[in-house]
Amino acid sequence: MKNLKSKMGRAGDIPLLICVFALTLFGCVMIYSASSYVGRVEYGDEFFFVKKQLIGVAFGTLAFAAVQFVPPEKLIKLKYPAVAVAAVTLILVFVPGIGVTNYGATRWIGFGSFTIQPSELAKYAFVIFAAAHFSKYADKVKTFTGILPVLIVGFLFCALIIAEPNMSITMCVGLLMLAMIFLSGTNLKTFALILTPFVLAIPVLIALEPYRLQRLSAFLDPWASPKDEGYQLIQSLYALGNGGLFGVGLFNSTQKYRFLPFAESDFIMSVMGEELGFVGITVFFLVCIFIIWRGFRIARSAPTKFTFLLSAGITLVYGIQVVINALVVSGTIPPTGLPLPLISSGNTSLVITLASMGVLYGISRAH
Amino acid sequence: MSVILTITFIFFIIFARFFYIQVVWGKDLVWRATDQWNREIPVIAERGVIYDRNGNLLAGNRTTYSVFVRPNAVEDAKYAAELMAGVLNLDSAEVEKKITSRNVSEITLARQVEKQKIEELAAYGISGIYYARDNTRVYPYGDLLCQVMGFTSSDGSGVAGIEKYYDSVLSGKNGEVMYTTDIVGVETEDSEIVYREAVAGNGVRLTIDLDIQLAAEDVIKSVYVSSGAKRASCVVIDPRDFSVLAMVNYPSYDLNEVPRDDTEILNAQTRNGIVSDIYEPGSTFKIITAAADLEEYIRGNKSAFSPSYIFNSSRTRSVGGTTIKCWSDHANGKHSAQTLAQALNNSCNPCFTDIALALGTDTFYDYLSAFGLGNVTGIDFSGEALGMLVPQSLVRDCDLARIGFGQTVAVTGIQLACAAAAAVNGGNYYEPHLLKGIVSSDGRTVEERQPVVRQRVISEEASHLLAQMLEGVVSDGSGKKAYIEGYKVGGKTGTAQKYEDGHIAAGKYVSSFVGFFPSDTPQYLALVIVDEPSGSYYGSTVAAPVAREIFSDIIAIKNIQPFG
Repeated sequence: MKNLKSKMGRAGDIPLLICVFALTLFGCVMIYSASSYVGRVEYGDEFFFVKKQLIGVAFGTLAFAAVQFVPPEKLIKLKYPAVAVAAVTLILVFVPGIGVTNYGATRWIGFGSFTIQPSELAKYAFVIFAAAHFSKYADKVKTFTGILPVLIVGFLFCALIIAEPNMSITMCVGLLMLAMIFLSGTNLKTFALILTPFVLAIPVLIALEPYRLQRLSAFLDPWASPKDEGYQLIQSLYALGNGGLFGVGLFNSTQKYRFLPFAESDFIMSVMGEELGFVGITVFFLVCIFIIWRGFRIARSAPTKFTFLLSAGITLVYGIQVVINALVVSGTIPPTGLPLPLISSGNTSLVITLASMGVLYGISRAH
Repeated sequence: MSVILTITFIFFIIFARFFYIQVVWGKDLVWRATDQWNREIPVIAERGVIYDRNGNLLAGNRTTYSVFVRPNAVEDAKYAAELMAGVLNLDSAEVEKKITSRNVSEITLARQVEKQKIEELAAYGISGIYYARDNTRVYPYGDLLCQVMGFTSSDGSGVAGIEKYYDSVLSGKNGEVMYTTDIVGVETEDSEIVYREAVAGNGVRLTIDLDIQLAAEDVIKSVYVSSGAKRASCVVIDPRDFSVLAMVNYPSYDLNEVPRDDTEILNAQTRNGIVSDIYEPGSTFKIITAAADLEEYIRGNKSAFSPSYIFNSSRTRSVGGTTIKCWSDHANGKHSAQTLAQALNNSCNPCFTDIALALGTDTFYDYLSAFGLGNVTGIDFSGEALGMLVPQSLVRDCDLARIGFGQTVAVTGIQLACAAAAAVNGGNYYEPHLLKGIVSSDGRTVEERQPVVRQRVISEEASHLLAQMLEGVVSDGSGKKAYIEGYKVGGKTGTAQKYEDGHIAAGKYVSSFVGFFPSDTPQYLALVIVDEPSGSYYGSTVAAPVAREIFSDIIAIKNIQPFG
């Protein structure tokens, strides 16, 4: 009892904790700025999106706190249940009546007005599975058969997510898979063997869905189709350009007047760039980098191989999303719908990200 | 270690990309985006006003308003449509259809709406409705000078007359009110309003003298009524520089209520006949023939007749197999043993046939061309007619013989007035004009038009001789009814038969009179044309008295003392 208490009371990585919650609150401010006009015009309430987000913040904080009671090593037991839950919910998306379609893609499952996005869950399920597998079969990671189960689960998830379709989370899981395998301690030969099909998969995926090619051409010259494929990117660039070096000031975005679609969710970084300028965006990225650095630092001193891979995986999920979002918003890669973790409006992403950060914090407390 | 390197590299790319977009490319992106952020509403520039030569206002403006609607910004279209239709007298269903159309960002619902109606509308505070300054042209004298003034279209640009000819001077530069709006045109909460002021157009000062114009309109109106003519018109010019002092065409129309809906009436009543219509001048043309003869005689041309030459008294001339008769029967000593002066007094046709034939085609055509026949005078007015003159290469003797006394030739009123003026003013042909100067909106003179001498047509000596002879026509000859004691009025009558489909139209005449005073230094010259008078049709009885009235009025208006 005394042992447990002292364990619960031990502080973890406080700077990480501060940064995570600072970003979460900063996200609420940005959501208000980006959505107050749309909220007022379309829902009659300028706080419409903020109120929704605050519910997510509450549940996310609860989740963050709740995972503190679970010793991180215990999560290894979730190896199969997590994969099962993720797989089932991903399949449920395709069941009529449960799956919810928005913007031409079926990515959500709904219970009444409550919807969740199973692909958000799948990322973490995969991380737990890969971490558990590699820690249990640490001696086999240098062989292809030792990696195979991780590949099977990864490809299963990818196949289910791409069928929604959701290109960006597929990409996310794919990158995550590569990174986890790399971190498992496998040798370069095996890694190269696995990498090859990924590289080959890109043209196949594009050929599979012609709209991706359109997006690709729109991304190369958005002004060729300013009303269609190029529209979103152009609006994002206008926002960033309008921001300039120092920004137009908080709440002063012009693009939020319904010019920029998804201003409060996937493209919230454009509004940040517009209102806070390059300087503000730079500060934001530095905070992100700091979180990533703390994450890897926690991983490096993690007590077990499982917690090492788990904390590295969580950090990677966060980092990959930030990077992809930044590349999309700046028109560096073709537009895909991916939230900016901790900032974008969207509760599934927020609650799960906070929960994962809770796990990361928990691991930092364990050593 | 490799992980740190990878992350550093990736973020370096991201930083570089954002720096490029936000700092390097930023200005260009903002410039591209400006268009979608703003909506403009035009502010119509105040149209320049039109004055007479003495600064009397002939065309001004009343401030009215345009009503614009941004369909996307209207909240309750049905309610808004009913309200606006009610105030603006429009069809409510039509308005609703217009303001619910989603593919236009902005429509102009009404123009030239009175201020009081705008205030009424504004009081309802309907969203999505905008007002901007507009002009409504106001012509304080109604139908005065209407065919010369012309009118503007509903969008305020000149479509006829001076309004059209000097549109670029009058129209000014429209301004703009700019709002920032959201994507569908709803004004944003802290919408900046950028205002570019409209630049008012310059005013135009005409050569027209309002008092003379008013008097001439009255006189022409009454001859139109009393003679039962189809049309009556006149032009008064200053022979010293060919500036137009008055120009009247009757019937006329009210400039404030242009008959836009009836094309036929519009075409008939808005036509400036003095400049755009041609007619056979008849005997007024003899001034030109006489001028040519006198000038040639003075220059020593042996073919020309001296002022003391006695013309053959026969009533007829046989030319190229045709017989040309005088309008008079020459019985009982009429038109016998005439000099040129007497031939003018009597308006005897054969004498002028003799002159035209004696001078010959080449010489006579040189004069016709110098006097501007068969060509535009170049007056600053759109739609000037050329007149009709048989081409020199095709003209036969029998044509030449008739041209001598004003047949087989057609002229515009302005052509004949200018030719007569050049014949009696000392021999200079000026470019006729309606513009005296351009004034800025705050009343400063921007430009003053200087007289332009086109060419000298006859010598001063010939001109004076001719003017004396024409004074004789009024004092002793066919122009007696234009005579005013003590004012040395000169002039010439004209009575021409009208042609229809190439044949003489029985009973249809154009009666005209061209007169001027004082004959030794002419200051006023008037041409009166009465088209198809019923009853008396001689220029001497129908048109000459009209000229006399106009001159009397001018004398009274200008308080001119009798000449010694």
